[in-house]
Order: sequence, then structure tokens, then C-alpha cells
Amino acid sequence: MSATTAGLGGVRSALAALGGRVGLSTNTDQERLDKARAVMLGEIDGSHAAYMETCLHCGMCAEACHFYLGTNDAKYTPIWKVEPLKKVYQRELGPMRWLHRMVIPDITLKELEAWQPLVYDACTECGRCDLMCPMGIQISPMIGIMRRALAAADLLPAELAGAADEQKKQGSVLGAGRAELLALAHDLESAGIHVPLDLPAADVLLLTSALDVKAFPGSLKATAKILNKLKVNWTLLSNSIALLGTGESLKELHVRRIFDEAVRHGAKTVLLPECGHAYPALRFDSAHLIGEALPFSVYSIAEFVGREIIGGRLRVNREAAGGTVTYHDPCKLGRHGGVFDEPRAAIRALGLELREMESHGRTNLCCGGGGGQFMIERAAPLRHRAFELKMREVDDTGATKVLTACNSCRYNYQAGGAESNWLTPVESLVEHVAANLAD
Amino acid sequence: MNILEFARGPAFEVALIVFVFGVCWRLAGIFLMHRRLDRSKPRQGALIAGGMRAIVMRSLPPHELEKKIVFQHISGYAWHLAFFASVLLFAPHIPFFKQFLGFGWPTLPNTVALLSGAVALAILAALLWRRATRPVLRQLSTLDDYLSIVLVILPLVTGFMTYARVLPFGLRYETMLGLHVLSICALLVWFPFGKLMHLFLAFPARFQAGALLKRKGV
Repeated sequence: MSATTAGLGGVRSALAALGGRVGLSTNTDQERLDKARAVMLGEIDGSHAAYMETCLHCGMCAEACHFYLGTNDAKYTPIWKVEPLKKVYQRELGPMRWLHRMVIPDITLKELEAWQPLVYDACTECGRCDLMCPMGIQISPMIGIMRRALAAADLLPAELAGAADEQKKQGSVLGAGRAELLALAHDLESAGIHVPLDLPAADVLLLTSALDVKAFPGSLKATAKILNKLKVNWTLLSNSIALLGTGESLKELHVRRIFDEAVRHGAKTVLLPECGHAYPALRFDSAHLIGEALPFSVYSIAEFVGREIIGGRLRVNREAAGGTVTYHDPCKLGRHGGVFDEPRAAIRALGLELREMESHGRTNLCCGGGGGQFMIERAAPLRHRAFELKMREVDDTGATKVLTACNSCRYNYQAGGAESNWLTPVESLVEHVAANLAD
Repeated sequence: MNILEFARGPAFEVALIVFVFGVCWRLAGIFLMHRRLDRSKPRQGALIAGGMRAIVMRSLPPHELEKKIVFQHISGYAWHLAFFASVLLFAPHIPFFKQFLGFGWPTLPNTVALLSGAVALAILAALLWRRATRPVLRQLSTLDDYLSIVLVILPLVTGFMTYARVLPFGLRYETMLGLHVLSICALLVWFPFGKLMHLFLAFPARFQAGALLKRKGV
């Protein structure tokens, strides 16, 4: 059930190639600064204002951040990562701006360059700091604004810029595009698993990701098996990889395209793969990006499977081997999406003994590679410091394997584990369900 | 006009005007700002209940991530309780409130209220020490952080000196009382500009966070 070594290696080599894909910025420094500022000013609204005005500088958020906990370096304090955004707010939008302009210097491009590693390498937008703040300040969405501002200033890390560029120009990510997806679908058909591709209309619209195709094809196979078992009217979009955004800067565009596809297909449900990133973007952010309520439901596949099991529509056998497992809540599904109960219901139905980590559910520790961080090569040492916390929590459970529902997490676990010679298997919950479908 | 008359008269009036106008200005500037309408389908309803819950529960020990923030929690609660007890429940303050509001209320025994003030002062000193020495706090700290602490310390210190009639430099009791009132005026003037505004902002910020998390089912 794990990805093949070739699959993981393929991802690694594709990541290594991304760095050199995008050239230097053609904009002047002033233009880059102006673009960043325009993004900040365009995105800050009253809710961000209330948060920024309420910060007590208490530093408690540091104690929630896996990058701070792993290094004890003050610069990784979450609220510090939005310092340029606060400056822009205080000087340009805040009610006391007439005063702040006198004492707070304007942001500079050099400052934004210095913040690039803080918001990309040292933040996975996991949202744990959002739980810690005694004032309720939601820091991670503001780090999202920082990321989009830096992207506008041509300050995306090379790998993320390369991935976005590849997706924009070729419709592929990490070398996996429509052709590779079609080949995988063909393989599944050959193996007797029907994959209805690009039907003109369907109740359930399934998307899949580059990581599924490149490293975790078992995930798509499992999803297809489950949907066929449920006899739902579904279709897989062959342009999935072009649709699932790779970066914050393209979020609005990708959300709009998925929305249009769902409406065109008359879909009642859009089903997302084991990909954390896409879930909160489509489930919660898309409605205001598009400007209207979604006429369809959005589920992650793990959530969907759990719902079907809870509703009695999908029956699974208890796993013959049994055993103990722990469940890693992907931050984007859990803390950003509220998907906690459904995966656990599936684990219970499989008859597995669930041993929770010290940090689980709402307080789950990020694996360290979310938010595209796992793609940034220079961030590997920092990523590993955060991953060490995760390994310790897993080991403390005594569970024999980790189940999860996000292939970015799964990749990061496997890459991090390989570096530490950590042998605990990390597997897909949905693959376990598919392997144990009851007749 | 002596210093006490000045403090109780024009100084206090100006401070109060700055306080009221400044607080209203800042609150209006924040809450009248455009907000995006969240049209996403809530995973859980009762968003208002989620917001209200966050107001109460956000910093209620034990926090879900309590292990790392025990000191901040205990000191935070202890400080606020001790400070407000020493301000609002200290018998010598009641005539002022009665004159100002037209009514008074029961008080604590003076010894207890003074002890509360001493606890508040000690916690502030500890927080100041932490802020000056811990890398995370030092990095985040601005002039606002230090000034706000100093401006809260001053009324406590001058209050103790006035009550205990500790009168350095041959100051008269009335002068020390005047300095105590002036220190309160300084606090009122600074209040709308700095972090002390969390008195008014903490609950709305918690409410919107609680409602957002409830929408997501978190």
C-alpha cells in the first residue's frame, strides 16, 4: 500500500528540476513592492483588522508552531511572520494610521525578501497557532495573504514558482498531467476497475492530484473501487491536475474553473482526492472567491467514505490482520475543515485499534510539509526538525502504522522517515477501506 | 489651582474626552471596515453560539494546548482579577465613582484590596521582566508594550504611596494624590492608542474566531 520507491524518487527528481524553471523577475523593485502592497490592501478586511488590532504581543502562538517547537528560534513565532502585513495595515488602513505613519517605516522589498523563508519555508498554514491565541487571532489566513503578496512580488520560492509555471503552461504538475492520468486510468481499466472518464454529466465529479498519479496511484484505484461499489453516477475529470491549484496565487482561478466544471456536469457532489490543500480552498474559501453559494457539496474522499460508512451505505469487513494504528489528521482536512469523525468512523469499522497521538484532532501537529513546504529543497533541514516532533508522538502511541488521508502528508512522512531510518509504515485510510469492502 | 485641583479638574476632563473619543474612533475604524461575506455552507450551524463559546472558553484554563502556556494563563487571570479588585473594590475609590456615576457599591476590606494591588504590581513586574528577557517576546515588543505596562504600574505605585502616605521629597499628601490622579489621566490618554484597547477588542475578536471555527466544524 505504500508508494513505490520509484514513485517517491520520481517526485523527488521532479521537485529538483522545478528550481531552475523560472527566471528572475522582469519587474522593477518598485513595481514588485507595489504589487505586494496592492495584494495586502486588497485582501485585508474588517476581520483581519480586528485581529491585528487585538494582538497583545504575548508570544503564545510560538508555543503552537512546530517550527518554533522544533528549533526554539524566535523568528518562527507565527504572528511575527505577518509583521509586514501589520505594517501595511497600520500605515494605510488602520484608524490610527495618521499616527502610525509617523512612527512605523514603510515596508521595503528587502524586508519582503527577508520574510520569504518565514512564510514559505517556516509555515505550512497548519492553523495550530489559530487555536492557541488567547484573543482568537486567526494567524494562518493572514500568512496566506503574506504568501500571495510575496508571490505578486515575484518572491515565490523557486520550486513553487516552477510548479505553478508548469501547471499554467503545460497543465501538468511534477511531470504528471493529462496523459499520465489517462495512462493510469487505462491501467486500472485493464485491472478490471472501471474509471468513467469525462462523462458529460454525473452526480459525483471526482478530481485527482499529481501526487496520486506520480507516487500514490493506489489512492485513485481505491477511490474508484469504492465509488463503483456504491454504484454512484460518477466521473473523473481527465484535466484534474490542471484544475487543482498548486499555489495561493492561482487559487481564485482554479476554484472558478472547478466551479464551472461542476456546474457544467450538473454535479451534486465534488469529490476531492487525498489532497489536503484543495479541501478548505473549495469547501470554505470558494464561495466568497466566486461570490455565490456553491450549488453542490464538497467532500474529501476520506470524509465521503466515512459518511457512507456511518450512514450504512458502505459496509466494510474487519481487517483480518487487525492491529494498532494511529491517525494523522491532515491540517487542511481537520483544523481547516472539521473532518475529524469520519476517518475515525472508518478506522473503527475496519476493526483497527486506534491509538491517538498526544496531539490529535484539533490540536494535531502538522507533519511539517504542508502548504507546499515539502517542495522547497532548502527547507529540508527545518522540515525535518518539525517532523522529529511528529515521529516522537507517533512512537509514543506504540501503534504499528500511521493512517492518513492526505498524500502530501503521506509523502512528507515517507520522505522524512527515510531520512531518519524511521520504519513505521504510513498508509492511506481510503486504500485500507477499499481493500476491505464487504460483499 | 494646585496640582490636585488641576488633576481632578481640567486634566481629568481632557483625559476623559481623549479616552472616549479615541476609543470610539478606533472601534468605528475597525468595525465599519468592509468585511467579506462568507457564503460557504456551515458544517455546523449555531455560529453565534460558537462565537459566544469562544468568548468564554478561548483562554479558560486548561486550554487545549495548556502544557506550554501555564504561566501566561495563571498570570493573565491573576493580574486582571487583582487589578480590577484593587481599582473597583477599594473603599477610598468609591466616593470618586459615586460622584462620577451617581452610585456606589460594596467594597473589599482595605487590606484585601491593597493585597490585590500588590499582587497586580508583582505580576506586572514579572511580565515586564519576561518581555525584556525572552527572545520571542523581545522580538515582538514595541514601544506600546513597554509604555502600556509602565502606565499601568504608575497608578498602582502612586496609589500605594498615597494611601500609605509615603511622601518623598517632602511632597504634601494632596500633591501625591494629585500625582496619582494624573497617572490615571495619562493611562486614559494612552488607552485608545495602544494595546490596552484589548479591553474592548478581545471579545469581538474571539467571537469572530469562534464563529469561523464553528462554521468549519472545528
